Amino acid sequence: MDQQQAPRFFKHGPSPFARVIVFSTLSLALMASDSKFNYLTPVREALMVGLQPFQAVANSPFVLYTSIANYFISKQHLRDELETLKKQSIFHSVQLQALQSLKDENDQLRTLMNASKITTQPARLAEIMYTGRDPFTHKVIVNIGAKNDVLAGQAVVDGAGVVGQVTRVFPYSSEVTLLTDKALSIPIQVERNALRAISFGHGRDNTITLPYLPANIDIQKGDKLVTSGIDGIYPAGLAVAKVESIKTNANSPFAQIVATPLAGIQNHRQVLILSSDTTDLVAKDIQQVLSEDAKNLSDKKDRSSRKNDAKL
Amino acid sequence: MQNFNRRRVYFTLLAALLLQLLPFSGIWLQIKPDFLLLALLFWLLRAPSICNIGIAWTAGVLMDLISGDLFGQNALAYSLTAFLAVMYQRRLILFTVLQQSVYVFLLLFVNQLILLLLKSFSGSEYFGWTYFVPSFTGIMFWYALLHSRLSVNIMARQQ
Repeated sequence: MDQQQAPRFFKHGPSPFARVIVFSTLSLALMASDSKFNYLTPVREALMVGLQPFQAVANSPFVLYTSIANYFISKQHLRDELETLKKQSIFHSVQLQALQSLKDENDQLRTLMNASKITTQPARLAEIMYTGRDPFTHKVIVNIGAKNDVLAGQAVVDGAGVVGQVTRVFPYSSEVTLLTDKALSIPIQVERNALRAISFGHGRDNTITLPYLPANIDIQKGDKLVTSGIDGIYPAGLAVAKVESIKTNANSPFAQIVATPLAGIQNHRQVLILSSDTTDLVAKDIQQVLSEDAKNLSDKKDRSSRKNDAKL
Repeated sequence: MQNFNRRRVYFTLLAALLLQLLPFSGIWLQIKPDFLLLALLFWLLRAPSICNIGIAWTAGVLMDLISGDLFGQNALAYSLTAFLAVMYQRRLILFTVLQQSVYVFLLLFVNQLILLLLKSFSGSEYFGWTYFVPSFTGIMFWYALLHSRLSVNIMARQQ
């Protein structure tokens, strides 16, 4: 065996202890620079592109399996699917006609009220390549990235509702954090009574929670939660979740509200990435708020200095 | 001879990396053993002059990349685990398969523990006891591999 060859004994290089010290320091430095400064983002992007062929190889058995399964799909099954799709299409087209007239009417009313028109957001179809490696974070990787004009922060939806948000963009792929992840929060509204709140991912089960709401809040089981649209990222009115349970505890002033997402975040292959062109709007809002705060602060200072003058 | 050895080690590590990249999801993702660490430990115990702590660190950086974690988390955990493996390597190689497996299990566990610590520092996330399941599946995989003498095949042409 290797370590029993005598001459090898003499050319050992640095001792394991020296090595582990060097590499530990190196990893600590990497961690610090990655978490505090964004120096390593281009490195990560470049390495991700380098890893792409390996990923393709690793994905190939599953791609092959699905393509074979697709090949042997029965004629009857296809016919049934076509039938349901046709029915759905007729149903949707009727709804769409009604929607168009409503939209025109809404635009007119909004111009009468001098409110800005609601712009529709262009969407882009993306396919989920694989789920994130860490079972304790809820993330998926999709097949379009910076080369397809995807930006971090864009909303991701599917046919049934909100799926999550793009959190990291690589040249040819991007990472989507699902709405059940603990790090993701979405401004929502209860459809029934237009009550605004913020939903947080639960992290463990595939649920979301509404913390910080008083125990006497008017939310019922089965209420539908939709996006409120005040963040400028998610367009208003997208379905998010359905309230599953409400628990109140005598010890806590807050209600424990758990909701299950409506979008099929576990079982879809394709999702839509909405390009948000309202980001400037949000930035403008923030700037306005900040400038107002600064103004208030200077006003206060003026007043206090005047007081001091009066005292003198 | 030397080159041939190296190629075999690197090939095994690459295969382990590919196994790691397989698109698991759901329950399979939770019980999936750390193939790359197992391959690293296999060679750390048998060919410490080829597969050293530096290689473990590089593998760790790759793991950071594919898991999307903070850079350096897996790298630190892997290099510390590799150090613990190399420290007792001369004794371990004389152990029986079962005794070795117990030590390797401890190493897998320690690796996950370091990762848990680092992750709870960087962003507190709840971890249930299922977090440690990959250590158990990992050691089962290791024992099965050594017991089935598949590893002897891998080793055989190396001598």
